[in-house]
Amino acid sequence: MSKKAKQMLVAYGLVIPAFAVVMLTVAYPILAAVIKSFQDPKTGEFTWANYSYFFTDPIQLKNLLYTLYVVVLTVVIAIVVAYLLALYLRFTKSKIAKTIGTLYLLPRFVPAMCAVYAMITIIRDSGLINRLGLLFGKDIHLGMMYHASGIITMNLWFNIPFAALMITAGLGAIPDSIIEGARDVGAGKFKTFTSMILPLSVKDVVVASTFVFMSNVGSFTTPYLMGGNSPKMLGIALFDQFNKYLAYNRSAALSVIMFLICSVSAFVYIYSNLKEKEWEK
Amino acid sequence: MKKVLALILALAMVFALAACGGSGSNSGAASGGKTKVTLWATGSDNVRQIFETLTADFNSKNDQYEVELQFMLSGTGTQTLADMLTAASQAGQTNTDYDIVDFSGDDWSKVTSLIGAEQFVKLDAAKMPNAANVAAKSSVAPDYCQPYRGTTVILAYDSEKVPTPPATVDELVEWMKANPGRFAYNAPGTGGAGDSCARSFVYNFLPEEAFTSDDEKWVAEWDKGFDFLKEIHPYMYKSGGAVVYPAKNQGTLDLLNQGEIDMCPNWADMVLSQRAAGQIKDTIKITQIQPSFTGSLQTLAIPTFGSHEDGAYAFMNYMLSADAQEIMVKQMAAIPLIDVTGMDMTGYEDLNDLDVSSFRIQSIGGLSTQFNERWDNEIATIG
Repeated sequence: MSKKAKQMLVAYGLVIPAFAVVMLTVAYPILAAVIKSFQDPKTGEFTWANYSYFFTDPIQLKNLLYTLYVVVLTVVIAIVVAYLLALYLRFTKSKIAKTIGTLYLLPRFVPAMCAVYAMITIIRDSGLINRLGLLFGKDIHLGMMYHASGIITMNLWFNIPFAALMITAGLGAIPDSIIEGARDVGAGKFKTFTSMILPLSVKDVVVASTFVFMSNVGSFTTPYLMGGNSPKMLGIALFDQFNKYLAYNRSAALSVIMFLICSVSAFVYIYSNLKEKEWEK
Repeated sequence: MKKVLALILALAMVFALAACGGSGSNSGAASGGKTKVTLWATGSDNVRQIFETLTADFNSKNDQYEVELQFMLSGTGTQTLADMLTAASQAGQTNTDYDIVDFSGDDWSKVTSLIGAEQFVKLDAAKMPNAANVAAKSSVAPDYCQPYRGTTVILAYDSEKVPTPPATVDELVEWMKANPGRFAYNAPGTGGAGDSCARSFVYNFLPEEAFTSDDEKWVAEWDKGFDFLKEIHPYMYKSGGAVVYPAKNQGTLDLLNQGEIDMCPNWADMVLSQRAAGQIKDTIKITQIQPSFTGSLQTLAIPTFGSHEDGAYAFMNYMLSADAQEIMVKQMAAIPLIDVTGMDMTGYEDLNDLDVSSFRIQSIGGLSTQFNERWDNEIATIG
């Protein structure tokens, strides 16, 4: 065996375990689920019924729109707040900014379950805010529990630090010299922002949005503990189909639908990365 | 680097050896002198804990038998105990180590429907004198299994806000209408209390036999019950302007504890053990309404294909003793099946008032899936 062939063998040998694991635990189940989603639960014949159910049944349609509503709102608010936070951290050199720069990552280290329960004890109708209100003679009922506003608030807790982390990294890569250059030719603060900082960081914003979007489409813990009975987010609807109604073919179809929703944002992510490459040429 | 590795390996070996030694001496004790009897049980972790306490207590008191626990945690996706017993029986095995088996009401119905009650020893009361004190009887094949503790869904209420709780479903509905937003049951499919509540409200309109049947014909008769659920819907707990059925048994219990509601159905053992541990308010009490919510009896049975029938009887007899019953009350707030006079019931006095001889049993089998789906589509969506 030639030396080159041996090297090839070693290379494949190193890759095969990982490849096999991915094939067995990711590719195969996905394929099996896609096939199942087109099968009739009783006869096993080809059918579109599992898919059409989710787009024609009024309850399921509501679940889908509700999920998009919660996720889009989460993305927009999280990105706007994170962008402002990142701008502040990038261009302010005070002690407070430094402290915030360290503290804003803290939520990433709190286990999801603890965070959700902590939030519940604060916003529930008999929670901390209600009790503080009672001290001043006001009976405040936020009504955020079992409501979209509660889920969105919780999502923001998880996603703002994450989005801010990504955007801060992007803003950090903009050299001071560019900003100084813009100032030298007479650009004001606003002009510097719109013509320099925003275009240079927009890619990071897009990437952060796609990540926030994807991680929230299938979220479970937050809507399970904080959501109402109807409409439900898709993660819960999927749980119901699978665990409560034992409708495995419909579960497979819903999984594929969620996958497709996520892949829209994955496409945006890949497209924005490719565009960058072209620009670099 | 090599030295560190060697040290780690050496440590690992020491631990491995120590572990071997531990288990080795264990089995030695069991085989030396005493006859080993194997007890099979399944359930949540609290069931494992109670059985560990009980077997240890039994082993320290009995000098003839040594009971060893084989416990299978439920919901872990492995083969269930019911499946294993069915397989052993159908394969015609004899002298297995299935000496004595712990069954929930559901599992007992399942196993007897698969392999028949004759695969279990017809119990001889003379071999377990303590059984004479037990009034409760299993609804399925009572001659072959011995109930030893009960659990039931009850109405939990805050006695500070509701001094005299309702005694019937009609009174409960009256109270709901007079106090809108102060009652909640958890969404069916998220916890047994909500399941029991919604199902008994629906099955109150059906003949009693329907509640223990999985016959499809009963589905057509659910309409009246679902109309009732719709009728009481507007008086349920509200948050954010809409009616909410919280997820999980703990969801409603938290609302009750926080004072957002005054009443909810829940498991007797869950409420009492949390109250004893100080996790919920002392003012929360339990009561049963008529027609009642549902409960079940936990039973023990002796497979004919086991090996130590006498040992099994000895353990069964122990489980019906005042000592064992008191341990179960204290550790899991189980409902005792023998006379409690002379037992220390401090903190669990509420259990005295529950009538164990008239547990309402539900087992609707596969219909529960349809029930939950209909509830999700018709009740949860009203808003």
